[in-house]
Amino acid sequence: MKKAADHTKPKRYGMVIDLDKCTGCGACMVACFAENNIPFKKDESEKLLSITWMRVYKLSNKKKYPDTDICYLPRPCMHCEGHEGHSPCVSVCPATVTDYSTETGIVSQIYTRCFGCRYCMAACPYHARYFNWWDPVWPKGMEKMLSPDVSVRMRGVVEKCSFCYHRYQRAKDKAYVEGRTDVEEEEYQTACTQACPARAITFGDLNNPKHKVYELKQDPHAFRLLERLGTNPKVYYVSSREWVRKSGDNYLKHEEPGHIATKH
Amino acid sequence: MLELALKGTKRYYGWVTGLLLVAGIGVVFWLWQLQFGLGITGMSRSVSWGFYIAQFTFLVGVAAGGLMVVLPYYLHNYKAFGRITILGEFLAISALVMCLLFIMVDLGQPNRMLNVLFYPTPHSMLFWDMIVLNGYLFLNIIVGWNVLEAERNNVPPPKWLKPFIYLSIPWAVGIHTVTAYLYCGLPGRGFWMTAILAPRFLASAFAAGPAFLVLLCMLIRKVTRFDPGKEQIQTLGKIITYAIIINVFFFLCEVFVAMYSQIPEHMDHLTYLFAGLHGHDTLVPFMWAAQLLMVTAILLLINPNARKNEPVLAVACVMVFIGTWLDKGLGMISGGFVPDPLHHVIEYTPTIPELIITAGVWAVGFLVLTALFKIAIGVKEEVMGEMG
Repeated sequence: MKKAADHTKPKRYGMVIDLDKCTGCGACMVACFAENNIPFKKDESEKLLSITWMRVYKLSNKKKYPDTDICYLPRPCMHCEGHEGHSPCVSVCPATVTDYSTETGIVSQIYTRCFGCRYCMAACPYHARYFNWWDPVWPKGMEKMLSPDVSVRMRGVVEKCSFCYHRYQRAKDKAYVEGRTDVEEEEYQTACTQACPARAITFGDLNNPKHKVYELKQDPHAFRLLERLGTNPKVYYVSSREWVRKSGDNYLKHEEPGHIATKH
Repeated sequence: MLELALKGTKRYYGWVTGLLLVAGIGVVFWLWQLQFGLGITGMSRSVSWGFYIAQFTFLVGVAAGGLMVVLPYYLHNYKAFGRITILGEFLAISALVMCLLFIMVDLGQPNRMLNVLFYPTPHSMLFWDMIVLNGYLFLNIIVGWNVLEAERNNVPPPKWLKPFIYLSIPWAVGIHTVTAYLYCGLPGRGFWMTAILAPRFLASAFAAGPAFLVLLCMLIRKVTRFDPGKEQIQTLGKIITYAIIINVFFFLCEVFVAMYSQIPEHMDHLTYLFAGLHGHDTLVPFMWAAQLLMVTAILLLINPNARKNEPVLAVACVMVFIGTWLDKGLGMISGGFVPDPLHHVIEYTPTIPELIITAGVWAVGFLVLTALFKIAIGVKEEVMGEMG
């Protein structure tokens, strides 16, 4: 085991989402709900109280026909690296519930330790963190169909996208049994990535040149959400449309975002 | 000395019973909230801190405001305040009790509260806030109680108390500084992200705390045999005048920086609060009322003749207290969350159960305040009696 650890260099799992491909079908959201035992309400019309680890936003260029254009933007947790792991939510948590893993680059959440102060929600600029305002209520019989790999959360705690961490654990176990030290790209994929019929989402190790995301994130049209806050997110977006790239941050009227996009 | 809180007139018992009733109703609603979850409040994904945390922030100020009687007495040897330091300290204790209760009712899983100690981390400002608030509570109990006991026994306060007294002075500044740091270090929350937040919190604290104390002193003079003193009330009036002017000045500095720089992240919050944004304007009348109250109070207080007139001073103090409460207890927290970092405007209004629980916590605070002041004044009356 020690030998295996020595040969594994730190990973930075992340995503590149092609917004020109996304059709806004919501399959990623549904897949995420099913995979991660996310509770839902009878009436989901009040989205402010919903729990959506993956959430598809609809953006509009707010122009009249014929210039009108829309874009759908899937938003998982950005798994911000910040600077040396000083991501907004990790640094504020008073009980070390949430942590930035230097091994995988995944921001974790220990549900049974969280006491629900919601400081992390105030700190997260992306609304990627969700609070359980009440206990989950499953339709009759559905509790038997919940995934045994992901713990169910109770009222009063915060939860968020884990990049399907249980899948990473499963892939690592498999690799270990087979005597390998590393997890292959296709062995660890998130539920939303696999569910996307348009193949808009690509997931992998941003540090690994063999993974597709390594190349994709260097697209000249790649950007990240609220990049200028210095949160250093690991979810990249790509769009050929300038107004879409401009929606990713709070720019001034005549600012040209394309010219300041940084690559990591 | 505790027995002093148990003996009282019918009116005293009536007041205590009334407070117990409100606190009891609050507890019932809190139990409901515990059972159901925080879904009974008006908070949501976008505004994840609401009325509870706003009250907490304001009351940390009231607690820190006690410094304004302790500091002149112990550091400047301003003898007149010796009469009322105990009132400042006991006011701080009851404000702190409310602060801690407001944090507690805001937690999703209060039974896991001790995880702050089991899994501590110096990275979190909430961890430090826990330390400074509990520490300040502890200091005030030690200092207040021992000084009062010494006064009762006609002996000087014990010598070992001095370090605690001196420590409590910077500590008072510390509680409100750390509370401001809770907010002002968050990227993406432009309204809070300003270096002047802690000074601004302190300025409003040194106005609101003493203003409340002046009103309490006037009340004490009316209903007990103990007179906190004309000079004491007037000096507090001067302190309030400076503090409220500085508070409004700091706010105007904030307005200038945000509006002149035109940085959207900073400007939009002020626009939302004072003019409404994207058609949302729930807080606009409250924010203007806050400014109006504070400015009117300044106009009253700045004139020495008006300030020396006690009924006028009382009115000004009420204005300062309500004005700063609206400014900090209502606008500061909501204002930081609206618009959100992606510039969506999603408003927040507290629900009825949330308001009832809030009233319950205030009632507990007033209960503690009543008991402590009863004890303090009981001792003062005893000492006066002995002197004949």
